[in-house]
Formats: sequence, structure tokens, C-alpha cells
Amino acid sequence: MKKYFMFIALVLLSMTLATPSFSAETIKIGALYSVTGYMSSIDTPSLRGAQLAVKIINENGGLLNGRKLELISVDAKTDQKAAALGAKKLLSQGVIAGIGHSDPSFVLPSAPLFQKKGIPFVTSGATLPTLPMMIGDCLFMVPFGDDDQSFAIADYSYNTLGVRNVAVWTDNSMDFTKALSKFYKQRALELGMNIVLEDFFMMGDKDFSAQIARLKNTSPKPDAIFISSIPNEAGLTTKQIRESGMTLPIVSGDGFDTELIVTVPGKELANDVYFSTHTYRADSRPEVTAFVENYTKEYGVAPENAFAPLGYDAVALIADAITRANSAKPKALKESLAKTMGFKAVTGEISYTRASRVPVKGVSIISVKNGNYTVEEIWMPKQ
Amino acid sequence: MEMNRPRYSLAIMIISLTVFSFLIENMANDYILAIVCFTGINIVLAVSLNLTNGFTGLFSLGHPAFMAVGGYITALLTFPAEKKPLFLPDFPQWLDSFHLPFFPALLVGGCGAAFVAFLVGISVLRLKGHYLAVATMGFIIIIQVLLNNADTITRGPLGLNGLEDFTNTYWVSGWVIVTVYICWKIKFSSLGRSMLAVREDEMAANALGVNLFSTRSFALIVGAFFAGIAGGLWGHLITALTPGSFSLLMSFNIIVMVVVGGTGSITGSVLAAIIFTLTIECFRPLEENFGIYGVGEIVMALFLVLVLIFKPSGIFGTEEPDFVMGKHKP
Repeated sequence: MKKYFMFIALVLLSMTLATPSFSAETIKIGALYSVTGYMSSIDTPSLRGAQLAVKIINENGGLLNGRKLELISVDAKTDQKAAALGAKKLLSQGVIAGIGHSDPSFVLPSAPLFQKKGIPFVTSGATLPTLPMMIGDCLFMVPFGDDDQSFAIADYSYNTLGVRNVAVWTDNSMDFTKALSKFYKQRALELGMNIVLEDFFMMGDKDFSAQIARLKNTSPKPDAIFISSIPNEAGLTTKQIRESGMTLPIVSGDGFDTELIVTVPGKELANDVYFSTHTYRADSRPEVTAFVENYTKEYGVAPENAFAPLGYDAVALIADAITRANSAKPKALKESLAKTMGFKAVTGEISYTRASRVPVKGVSIISVKNGNYTVEEIWMPKQ
Repeated sequence: MEMNRPRYSLAIMIISLTVFSFLIENMANDYILAIVCFTGINIVLAVSLNLTNGFTGLFSLGHPAFMAVGGYITALLTFPAEKKPLFLPDFPQWLDSFHLPFFPALLVGGCGAAFVAFLVGISVLRLKGHYLAVATMGFIIIIQVLLNNADTITRGPLGLNGLEDFTNTYWVSGWVIVTVYICWKIKFSSLGRSMLAVREDEMAANALGVNLFSTRSFALIVGAFFAGIAGGLWGHLITALTPGSFSLLMSFNIIVMVVVGGTGSITGSVLAAIIFTLTIECFRPLEENFGIYGVGEIVMALFLVLVLIFKPSGIFGTEEPDFVMGKHKP
């Protein structure tokens, strides 16, 4: 028995030793990403992007006359409980800002804890436009809001594609996809489009033949179909619609920003697909090329998706605010973040000028023709 | 003297928990406090599930569903009125007038869960063994789908949030004491003995005049009541509730605590809940410093496998250990 106790004591001791001690100089930023669970395919690239940003900043001499950045990462485990616990853990370690999460359902349990302590939290991937209002003046968003991306693609389908009758498919299992459809329909009606069919599916569905049959029999015939989905269903729906012989344009939001819409249907069928997304894919601004190069050098693979640069931007945004405030105190940082104007992030310029504090950011409209992605236009929101 | 040993154990537990809550509430940081609260909530969950699964031998997976019912009811009853326009814009007017302080809201949540358990029990408790497990699993899915689609009240998949953080160690330790006390009293009463009899041999129990259906219903309803309370505490600790949290995975985690602690042993459930909650958190520094995420879960799974191989009846089996009971067995 004594041996066991010795063993347990040894394990615990080694754990405390494993916690490295830091010099008082570092600026601590907490990262909350779900690196395990189903969010990990989105959150892991974000975390790697953030770590890359920290590394580059430190290699260039740190901030505020040589103080190094330190990123403390806690796993949110795709679990609300772990997200809340993780936030408390970071706060007890004296971070001056938090970053993280690509879905509002994890921001909502963790960010209010930062708000309560007056420490800014920058979400790199959650796009719910009411988030800053729900949580308070400590929450900052790197991405655009869902309303902007839906309005962008709605404007594009009306003005450029000449769509007048549109069908809408919605993944009814997620808040994100429901919100996307809601905003698309809102703008479509404002512009004077007719919504001729509304249909639903659930995350994880594999067969869309029933929805396709209804789509074929709709009259008046739709000029385009808006599909609100996340990457997995994006590839499958595109494939099955094209295989059924329908050639109408498919439009969507950043859920379609994935290689799957080309790899699943194949190059010939991946045609006439248009989606609105973060200004990153197929973009040639110097920030983007530098990021892709650095990321590839660091990790040996190209950035997996747009969430990698978003994570990078979250850290870069904080670093920029620290430099402008010339202070690493949470209060000064919060004020300086709120004054961010025209910050050149990898995923586009960020300015917090709106009352809703959702960044005013360009939205890329990307077309897919025979498997090739091309940026068609950059949509800018009206303030 | 020996007869009174359980009573002393109870008194020691109450006193030490009170002192412990007081000390920790004043000394520890928020992170430690939250872990302590989660541990307490897990104790409530494990002990109450032990009543259903351990004492009565029903294999119910429905605990998270009852938690969800209790959690949502409590959250809606305590939701601050001034936040409603922003967070719940479509909330029905007639429901607005129902507003309760935390404690009564918790009780209403627990009773709501118990009522749902009663309704579910009427149909489901006619099933046995694996069939009951499958039916209660279906029940979890029904509750999740309902919560996902009742947008106006529950805000669907995004979940309810912006709840007040009422839950602290005092509330949690209070409910731990109540749960353990009530389950203890039930276990060592004639009712508890008929529960154990139903578990061991239902035909013999029935022949001796034990009403199978009402005994089972009682076990399910009391278990559900405490699950509902735990749901309310859980929601007001995290300050958010989503349908996705109350999944089969959570049900699995609670069952693991019951199985490892010993099906039917209250002390075992308490210990297993403490071990499981703390171990996973203990591995966090390891995960974060070396980037090997998920180690805590792997170790727990390994621990479960080892317990099942070397001590299939759990740490304490159905018994309560000597250090709680004394040498005397009732």
C-alpha cells in the first residue's frame, strides 16, 4: 500500500515540477480552444495560428521594449463545462486577455467570466452578431457577423447572378446555419427576391434525394439555391444536386469555404458554386502570402482552413492594441482594442466603428468553376 | 455505541463539509471553487443514479435528460427580467410573470424532472434490462430534439445563457448532504430492502408482496428529482445551458462513477465522483505543458477497464465500508 502512495505522491510532484515558472516580464494571453471533440478540426488550426503569431512576435523582440508574449492554452473539450472551467483557470493565472472559440455556444459560457473581471476576450471564429451586446464591452470579434456574410451573398446573387426566385435549404441542427438562413431570407425579401422553397436537413445527413425531388418540382423554378450548412454537408449537397442533373447556381456562406466542395463531387461537377467568406482564400494581399508561407514553414502543411488565419489575427490584434496603448494592463488594453481602426489583419481590415461592435470587415465572394476558386468581389458592409 | 456509527459519520460529514465550504469559499480562487462545485454536483448525480441503477437494478441512461428538464425549468424561472428582451426576444408573455428566487426555482425544477420521470416511468418501466436502457436512451434524444426546436423558450441549439451565477459551494454542499442523507435513509429502510430484493430476484420479491412497478417508479422518480436539482445547480454554475451538453456521453460518465464506486454503495458513488472529477482536472497541467490533450480521459478510461477486470463489483460492491458503518451491519 505504501508503495502506491509513494507512486501517487511522485506523480503529483512531477506534475507540479512540470509547471514551468515564468519571469514576471511575460505578457500572458489565454487561449481557449477545443482541441479535442468535434470542434477540433476547426479549433486546432486556430490555436496553431495563434501560437505562430506569438512565436513571430517574440522572435521580432516582443512588445513594450522586449517583453515576451506567452500563450497559455486550455482545452475546452467541445464542452460548455470545460469551457467555463478553462476560462476560470486562465483568469486565475493572471492573463491580460483571452482569445478563442469558433462557435458562440462556447463563447457564451466563458466570455462573461472575462467580462466580470474586466479582461478583454477576443473571439477568433464565433460569428453571431449579437455576441458583443450579450456579453458586454470586453468582447471583441475578429470575424464579420453572420448578417454581413449573408447580406453579401444575397446582394451578389441578386445583382450579379440576377437571381429573382430562390430556394433555401437550412441545416436545422445548428444555431449558426439557422442564423445564416434567417439573414439571407431577410435580405432577399428586402431586395425583392421570391423565396420559392424552404427545405431542411440535419447535420450528419447523407442522402438529400427527398430535398432534391422537391427542388425539381418547385414552381416557379428557382434561379439559384442557398444552402446553409457546415463543410461536411457542403460537399455532399453540391455533389448530389449536380448528379441529379440540375445546374442552377449554388450559393452559401463560409460553411462552404472548404476543399470538400471540390474533392467530394469531383472537378467537373464542382461548378457554379458561389460563397461569401473571410477575405483569405485565393487572395493575394501581402499579409495573406506571408501568413501562408510562415504557417507552412512552421507546421509543414498549408493552413487547413480560414480559422488558422483567424486565430493568428486574434493574437495580432491584441499585440497591436498593446503597442498602441503602450501598456499591458487589461483596462488600457480594452480601451485600445475598442479604438482599433483599419488594422491590417490576414483576414481583412478590422475597424470597430459600429455601435454593435461587430468589426466592419470586407467579405470575399468566391466562385468555384470546374474546381477552381476565384475571388469575384470584395463586399463591404455599410458602416 | 456501534449502532450509532452511521449517525456519527453523517454528523462528521455535515460538519466537515460546512467548515470546508467556509474555508474554501474564502481562500481559494474561482477555478478551484468551480472544480469543488462540479465535484459536488457529480456526487449528487452519482448518488441519485445509484438509487435507480444501483439499488433497484434499473439500467437507466436517462439522467442527463432529467438534468436538462430540471436545469431549463430552474433557469427560466430565475432568468433576470431585464435581460429577457435581449436574450429571449420571443419569450411568451404569459410565462414572464413566473419568477422565483433560486431555492424555490431549484425545487420546482427538481419536481418538474420528477414529474417527467413519472410520465416516462408509466410506459418505460414495463421494460427490463437492455430494453429499458434503449428506451431511456431514446428519451435523451427526445428531450434534446424538443429543446433544439422549442426556439422561443429555449433558444434552440445555441442554448440559454446569461444566467445568474447563484451556485456556490454552500448550495452544492447543502444538496450533497440532503442527497446522501435521503438516499441513505431509503437504503436502510424497508423500502430500500425491497428495492434490493427487486434487483436481486424480482420474481421472489414479487412473491413476497413487493409491488414491482411502484418500487421501480419510486426509484426512478427520486433519482430524477435529484438529477433535476443537479441540472439547476449545473446551469447556474456554468451560467449557460445547451441541449448538446445533456448527451449520452454525460450519461456514460455518471454511470461510470456508479459502476466504479460499486452499484448500491453510497460511499462508493461519492468517492468515485470525487476521484473522477479531480483526476481529469489534475491532468490538465500535463496536457497544457506538453500539448498531449485528452490524457485525462484516457487515464480515466484505463482506470475503468482495470476496475472492471480486477473488481467487477466496483470499489465497495453493494456494501457501505466499515469506516462509515462501524462493525455493525443493520
